[in-house]
Amino acid sequence: MFKAILKTAVLKRAIAILILLPTIVIAQQAPQLPQDLKWQTNNEAPTFADPNAKTGGTFRTFVPSFPLTLRTVGPNSNTSFRGYILGNQLGLVGMHPETEDIIPELATHWAYGKDGKTVYYKLDPQARWSDGKPVTADDYLFTLEFMRSKHIVAPWYNNHYTNMIKGLVKYDEHTISIEGATVKPQKDLHYFYGLNPTPKHFYKLDTDFVENYNWKIAPNTGPYQISKIKKGKLIEFKRKKDWWAKNKRYFKNRYNVDKVRVKVIRDYNVAFKHFEKGDIDTFGLVLPPYWHEKAKGKLYDNGYIHRAWFYNETPQPSSGMYLNQDDELLKDLNVRIGLAHAVNVQKTITTVLRNDYERLNSGYIGYGDYTNKSIKAREFDLQKADEYFNKAGWDKRGDDGIRVKDGKRFSLRISYSRKEHNDRLVVIKEEAKKAGIELNMQLFDSSSAYKNVLEKKHQIAWMGWSTGFRPAFWEHYHSSNAHKPQTNNITNTDNKDLDAMIMQYRVEVDEQKRIQLAHKIQQFVHNETSYIPTYSVPYTREGYWRWMQLPKHLGTKTSGSLFDIFSSSTGGLFWIDAELKKETLKAKKRGKKFSPVLIKDTRYKAAAK
Amino acid sequence: MSISRPKFFSPLAQQKFKRFKQIRRGYWSAIIFLSLLFLSCFAELMINNRALIVKYDGAFYFPTYGAIYNGKKFGLDYEYEVNYRDLRLKFQQDNSDNWVMMPPVPYNEYENDLVEGEYPPHPPSWISQHYLGTDTSGRDVLARLVYGFRISIWFALLLTFFTYLIGVTIGCFIGYFGGWIDLAFQRIIEIWSNVPVLYIVMIMASIIVPGFWMLILILMAFGWMGMTWYMRTATYKEKEREYVMASRALGASTSRIIFRHILPNSLSIMITFLPFAVAGGIGSITSLDFLGFGLPPPIPSWGELISQGTENMESWWILGSVIVALVTVLVLITFVGEAIRDAFDPKKYTIYE
Repeated sequence: MFKAILKTAVLKRAIAILILLPTIVIAQQAPQLPQDLKWQTNNEAPTFADPNAKTGGTFRTFVPSFPLTLRTVGPNSNTSFRGYILGNQLGLVGMHPETEDIIPELATHWAYGKDGKTVYYKLDPQARWSDGKPVTADDYLFTLEFMRSKHIVAPWYNNHYTNMIKGLVKYDEHTISIEGATVKPQKDLHYFYGLNPTPKHFYKLDTDFVENYNWKIAPNTGPYQISKIKKGKLIEFKRKKDWWAKNKRYFKNRYNVDKVRVKVIRDYNVAFKHFEKGDIDTFGLVLPPYWHEKAKGKLYDNGYIHRAWFYNETPQPSSGMYLNQDDELLKDLNVRIGLAHAVNVQKTITTVLRNDYERLNSGYIGYGDYTNKSIKAREFDLQKADEYFNKAGWDKRGDDGIRVKDGKRFSLRISYSRKEHNDRLVVIKEEAKKAGIELNMQLFDSSSAYKNVLEKKHQIAWMGWSTGFRPAFWEHYHSSNAHKPQTNNITNTDNKDLDAMIMQYRVEVDEQKRIQLAHKIQQFVHNETSYIPTYSVPYTREGYWRWMQLPKHLGTKTSGSLFDIFSSSTGGLFWIDAELKKETLKAKKRGKKFSPVLIKDTRYKAAAK
Repeated sequence: MSISRPKFFSPLAQQKFKRFKQIRRGYWSAIIFLSLLFLSCFAELMINNRALIVKYDGAFYFPTYGAIYNGKKFGLDYEYEVNYRDLRLKFQQDNSDNWVMMPPVPYNEYENDLVEGEYPPHPPSWISQHYLGTDTSGRDVLARLVYGFRISIWFALLLTFFTYLIGVTIGCFIGYFGGWIDLAFQRIIEIWSNVPVLYIVMIMASIIVPGFWMLILILMAFGWMGMTWYMRTATYKEKEREYVMASRALGASTSRIIFRHILPNSLSIMITFLPFAVAGGIGSITSLDFLGFGLPPPIPSWGELISQGTENMESWWILGSVIVALVTVLVLITFVGEAIRDAFDPKKYTIYE
């Protein structure tokens, strides 16, 4: 699972860490393993697959466009299909989807170096590429060579693998160590510095790399391999007969379908029609119009298609209103707190958003222990808003009901980039009038909006940051990123005490202390009120035909989707029941009814709050 | 551009007006359209969430125009603007002498009428007085429609005025002086005509948030060329007529010849094109709004309603009302335009083959 998150997460969040010396240290001469290493493994964590799962069948799904290449690096490789290919590349270790402990994947054991930035791995000698060749230490060494090569035309990877990974040492065929750039808590080391093997026997790095490997199917280590390609139309994956890991503790009873057929259907609405016809097995129903209006009728009432609403606990994007504290009006703390009480997020949720979304309480929800769960978003309260505004001297109202002070009106621009958000914003705007605030909506196209914000020209930015593995504070709240363009500190937070805590958080190795620091920082940010949290969508919703079977508990705590096909952490938990399929199709033909199924699983809902 | 003694009321003009009146379809369309235009200027008296009259403790209040009254004024416990619908309800329940008179449609174009547990858009209803239902954020469609009409019609009128101003001036200028001026301007216009307006608007809209006047400015800057061609031709034609030669022989100045003789005699061209220019103006602002490059939200606009309607086909009342309104207005204007064209046609009877 690590590699899947790695690119997007690190790319978006931690660019700042990349300014480090590009020292390449690949020691080749008979390196010696340190004597006092404590090797660890994990064969005790609970399994999460269903032992009753049956194998067989073809799972049919769709992608909106045919991939431009089968490479996963280089030009045109960053498409949605990339996930299907990378899903079948295991990492050294994985993270348990329930307990979030480290569990073995391609490595059976791991140990931590004394320097706090090196991890040692014992590779699984059984691990095989799809072409039958063993996975060895050389394939890891080759990853560095590959990712640093100019021929792959991927500057981000060149840079990342040069600056973040300081060295990779091969001790023998099945033992390696990876040294990262900076000290991190042990668990985090795997996430930031763990890398995937690259089949050395398959690739030839030269100037024609990009063209040569466009449509070549690279050997992989995961459960499935591409078996058929119809350009522009479909791609088929076949389960490996003798997958080397099929009997491993955490992979048993998973990846049950024989084949996965991925069709290209360019339009979401058309794909939905295919689904209702029975040509596609499952369909994501997170979007409110689909869940509330389109996924209704006979097919559902007669029990042919089931629906599930499954709450999970994954990091939530920090969507909300970012207040620019360099602004004349917003630099006053009382104004900011007043504003937070004048924004009626709850009303938008219960009306225009159909109660589908939830109030986000802070910018760091879903990070497990790192989330400070005692923080609650400020509620809409005109009384309190009034109190704070009065304290700030905005106690008079003009003829139009908007507050005035020294001849100035309490008027703020709120810039945003998505037309779809108009409905929420007009409600917030009208409600804010009650508190005597004028909010002017400023709709930009997304790149201008982003530019506007990064140049810190906004007053209020309506947006969200994507998530990472751990809460990130430095880029958003450290003073070294304040008051200057092109940094992520868009609230212009500038506080010496906060700086100290953030710097401490970055180097703290003791996990408990680090968590405490994270909580303290979150509380501080909340008190400063430079950010007003808005919505979270802590669930997935799916429609699936009656023959699609899920484990009793549907999914795991961190399942992003219930029908994740390949991912090594939460994928392949479902299976297809051939008997039921026959029965259902027959019943549908004859009009026989089953009882409708609509599941709402809220086990992880409370935890997310 | 001033016409010191308009020739509207010359016998010729009177005859044209008479002929216009005889074309009943166009004449009545004009009357309906002008009354709509006039009524829309006082939309606040018909469609508004502010009451027309409030009687409270023996005094009368007229909240429609001017400063707002906050809740405390009428014995309520809040400081923001009074919700007059609730006030009416409260007065009715109190059985006091106080009363509130609301406009026929008691909502304004921005207000979200939302009830918890009921999700917009709401279908039309007599009880809630949303006669054309609400849109996706609970705003009254009728109110958005009427205020949207007022904005787009004024937008179109102003745009037409400014494009005419520039187009006629330049057209007269190059037509009258001719020669290299004419040649130079023709080339400039040809080049200028090739600038894709929509792209310019899209680029502008992505950099700044365009307002009402900004959009007029952009569309005007790229829309004056059409009128220029016609005025150039008309001026060329009129310039060579005997009456111009005569006045020149009498020693009339250039400006006198242009403003007193040529312009009034080319008036028919300008007037004939006027309704179509206005219709074009409505069309452009609506399509820009539809594409999301027009007036910024939450300003009411027909284009925005169309875009909401197409995304929510199940809520037929949104798309239905705006399409009916748009077609009606454009048909009215086209009828007027047709009638004007016929009235100004020197040949009384035209036989089309």
